[in-house]
Amino acid sequence: MNRVILLLSVMCVGVSSQPITENQRLFSIAVGRVQYLHLVAKKLFSDFENSLQLEDQRLLNKIASKEFCHSDNFLSPIDKHETQGSSVQKLLSVSYRLIESWEFFSRFLVASFAVRTQVTSKLSELKMGLLKLIEVRTHRHSLDLTNQNSCLTDHLTLQANQDGAGGFSESSVLQLTPYGNSELFACFKKDMHKVETYLTVAKCRLFPEANCTL
Amino acid sequence: MMKNLSEVVLLLLLLFFSPYAQGTRYSPPEKPALTRCRSPEKETFTCWWEPGSDDGLPTTYALYYRKENSDTVYECPDYHTAGENSCFFNKNDTSIWVNYNITVAATNALGSTFSDPVDIDVVYIVKPNSPEEVVVTVMEDKGWPFLRASWEPPNKADTRSGWITLIYELRIRLDGEDDWEMHLAGQQKMFNIFSLRSGGTYHVQVRCKPDHGFWSEWSSTFNVKVPDYFHRKKSTWILITVFCAFIFLILTWLLHMNSHSLKHCILPPVPGPKIRGFDKQLLKSGKSEEIFSALVVSDFPPITSSNCEDFLVEYLEVYIPEEQELMLEESKDLHDNCLKSEGSTYDNDSGRGSCDSHTLLMDKCRRSKEEGRLTDQEESPIEAQRHQKKWNEGPLAYSHDDIVSPDTSSGRVKTWPSVFSPLPQYSSLNQMSSLEKVKQHCLSDSLFPPSSSSSYLTQPGHDNNKEALGASYWDKQHRSLHPQTQALWQIQAHSEVNISNVGRKQAPVDLQPLALRPTEYVEVQRINEEDMVLLQPVMSDCGAGCPRPRQEDDYSKVQGVNNDNMLLLQREVAGHKAERCPCEDQEMNGAMDSCVLSSIVTQKPTACIDTGTPARDDTALAVSGYVDTATIFTTY
Repeated sequence: MNRVILLLSVMCVGVSSQPITENQRLFSIAVGRVQYLHLVAKKLFSDFENSLQLEDQRLLNKIASKEFCHSDNFLSPIDKHETQGSSVQKLLSVSYRLIESWEFFSRFLVASFAVRTQVTSKLSELKMGLLKLIEVRTHRHSLDLTNQNSCLTDHLTLQANQDGAGGFSESSVLQLTPYGNSELFACFKKDMHKVETYLTVAKCRLFPEANCTL
Repeated sequence: MMKNLSEVVLLLLLLFFSPYAQGTRYSPPEKPALTRCRSPEKETFTCWWEPGSDDGLPTTYALYYRKENSDTVYECPDYHTAGENSCFFNKNDTSIWVNYNITVAATNALGSTFSDPVDIDVVYIVKPNSPEEVVVTVMEDKGWPFLRASWEPPNKADTRSGWITLIYELRIRLDGEDDWEMHLAGQQKMFNIFSLRSGGTYHVQVRCKPDHGFWSEWSSTFNVKVPDYFHRKKSTWILITVFCAFIFLILTWLLHMNSHSLKHCILPPVPGPKIRGFDKQLLKSGKSEEIFSALVVSDFPPITSSNCEDFLVEYLEVYIPEEQELMLEESKDLHDNCLKSEGSTYDNDSGRGSCDSHTLLMDKCRRSKEEGRLTDQEESPIEAQRHQKKWNEGPLAYSHDDIVSPDTSSGRVKTWPSVFSPLPQYSSLNQMSSLEKVKQHCLSDSLFPPSSSSSYLTQPGHDNNKEALGASYWDKQHRSLHPQTQALWQIQAHSEVNISNVGRKQAPVDLQPLALRPTEYVEVQRINEEDMVLLQPVMSDCGAGCPRPRQEDDYSKVQGVNNDNMLLLQREVAGHKAERCPCEDQEMNGAMDSCVLSSIVTQKPTACIDTGTPARDDTALAVSGYVDTATIFTTY
């Protein structure tokens, strides 16, 4: 009897340890992806800024002060305190929503077709990875797999609705279009950095030994 | 009144000058400018501004900011923490990923001036502090030292939670030099430095940067001294290296001096093909067919006049000045024999011989005449002479046009075909008739056209098949052989005479084997005391040029022709050559001045002749004679 319990516990540990390792790997990949996307966003923004003339830049600055991104509607932590106070699950879900939204908006980025398609594909991949991470985390907390999946999507949708219009309302799109280029670039850059920070914090919280405390 | 005037003037003056005294008062302050805003850890940030020129009036500065998407204007919460002309935003007032619109206002009594607004996002103005606790230690790796630098992130940067990700950079400098050596360390907090100079002092500094931000300032310098390591080993190695280099230089010099001999020793020169007249390029081209054809086609053996003279002269030239001169051209046959090639050149002087040769022919004629006289069994020498004359006439009529190389054409055709093989039969016959036949044969074959020869052939009346065959054979030979062979026949005729003479002495049993064979050669064995040329057959299995038995004196070589047109034969006695024995035939002088016979007929009892006339001469008689006329050509 004791031996059976011992065996079962060992198996459970083994089973549970495996997803953790896989989780860590997935996290590392996600962080890497978002870092790359952030760099791309930065480059696009700087290229766009450089292409503008001086007067246009002043105008841009004026506009930028009033800009708002569609992601502003999302309730995302905006400082360290809030970020560190948020759970990993929340961080992951916020990140997922951001990536999902930008997967839609990246098509409007003013860039070459190759860059645009590459950015969109990377965003899609990141979205899938985040979804997987979320699933893993929710699965760990719950035993029912099938329910969890549906629950997860419902939860995400609910959050989106709570944030307000999900950020995909026509008004927001229309508002973006007149200043589509500059605002898009700025917002894209900012949002990518947000996701990068959230994921890094989440990873370091989960796996402190991985480049967080050296 | 005066006092009032002065007071008014003073007032006026004051009024006038008062603005000058307080000029600044009347102008608002100059516009300040925000210089920079920095956040050390992405949690707080500070902004500094530069005040404008101060007119003296007290000016107050105020910073106002506005967050994005909000019109609420806030004032700087803290003016003092960060120092003069600064505004410090603490954690509570700092929002990340939010655009701040900041303005500074300068206010004095006259007014206030606002600076240009600046938009910042805290995320992008992060400039951390320098790394702390930079420690450099000297460590050792298999006897070679290296430096290990370690540091800590700045105090306030929260890298542990992942809020900030820092990358570090290290730089090192040797004491006394000006150039820094940069090393990027990434996110690690430790770095190894190798390739150090022993005994040197190094200065190390570290700085850091967030993934999207500014580089920090360099940390404080850490000085470290590398100990001296193993001078002895180094110096020993240096000595060894220098010594080896020295030896290497000496060896090189020696090699250079003896390069030639070494080259010959190690790489002996490959001898190229040294075939005269052979084109080496053919070998290089590598086409075997061309090479072989070249070997065959080329003029081998090489031809020079001297070589040609060395080669066998097949024919002797018998020159009869009073009679028709035998203008015999040199036979091409000789050259064919000599050269084994087609189309080689030849001079007309050489190659005369055989039946057409003056000298030999006459010699034989003379001898035959003499023999005829001596033996008394032959017809009169006159007849012989007459025949001889006739014979001499023959060559004249001869044309050299249809020169065909004899069947025996080979390198050294020194022997004439024993076309007279049937002749031995005549030995048993009537001598007269035989002689006649011989003469006739000779005449027919050599001197006259085939048509005329037939008449002669019928004369003997000996319907000897062999004879006929022989005659016919001679006929053929006559057509086929060169004129040079005429002399051969003639001489052979002489020899036949001899044979016929001698044949009576003995049974020419041994001559039987000499049946009608197409090419059978005889050679001069020696000259007996009676001035007779003794002939012997050449070895049957031997072709031309077969070495003859040297048991007797060998008179087969003509050494030369002297000025008196005498044929000088060379006697070789059993291995060593005799001296030249110029001899004259005085008897012949009357008839032929230029008829030269040497050593064959001599009346001088010199050593040339005779020594050695063993009884072998009887048995050694050959059917025909052979004289090597090669030496004649040397003198020609």
